[in-house]
Amino acid sequence: MDPDAVAKAFVEHYYRTFDSNRAGLANLYQDGSMLTFEGAKTQGAQAIAAKLASLPFQQCMHNISTVDCQPSGPAGGMVVFVSGSLQLAGEQHPLKFSQMFHLMPTPQGSFYVLNDIFRLNYA
Amino acid sequence: MDPDAVAKAFVEHYYRTFDSNRAGLANLYQEGSMLTFEGAKTQGAQAIAAKLASLPFQQCLHNISTVDCQPSGPAGGMLVFVSGSLQLAGEQHALKFSQMFHLMPTPQGSFFVLNDIFRLNYA
Repeated sequence: MDPDAVAKAFVEHYYRTFDSNRAGLANLYQDGSMLTFEGAKTQGAQAIAAKLASLPFQQCMHNISTVDCQPSGPAGGMVVFVSGSLQLAGEQHPLKFSQMFHLMPTPQGSFYVLNDIFRLNYA
Repeated sequence: MDPDAVAKAFVEHYYRTFDSNRAGLANLYQEGSMLTFEGAKTQGAQAIAAKLASLPFQQCLHNISTVDCQPSGPAGGMLVFVSGSLQLAGEQHALKFSQMFHLMPTPQGSFFVLNDIFRLNYA
């Protein structure tokens, strides 16, 4: 399958899940997965889901501006680099962010997130 | 060696080389390396060096704000996620950017850039 199409589908699924059912993100990570969120490091699907659930906002909406992807090596992985904005309920201005994912294939033909790094882009 | 220290050393070397001897960046890439620069894809050390040499500015200075890194899998690779600003000679305001590198070890104990994705962060 076309890598760009895979990346686009993953990104749409990830942010739609984040914005409507944040707990559902746990299925996209595994034991060895790592998240660095604004410099804070977390490892493993459960801890990552807990970290995301604990972020200091409830309703949010991600708007994606750019998605770039490249194959990451012989293991069949893919790096995905996203930029966009994050609108929090009650806030006047959206926050700009960049995020990178390293996706690895699962035996079932899907992908999980091995590496995830998120940073806000301050003006 | 501490991965954070390796990432920090790589980032300092990369941008110092970019800002003082851009052609010297060719040594950091190999044949299978990929660069996506503002959506334009290039592959291989020679083509990447040519792309970077052809960018529409001569003098520049990168100022790095954040560096995050994570190990990328059993092959010993490392993902490095950078944000900062890029000051071009003669321009009044610096451009904000984000960039990710996927570094892979070399037999000599160093690293080369397998994946490189660069995006400006527009206000």
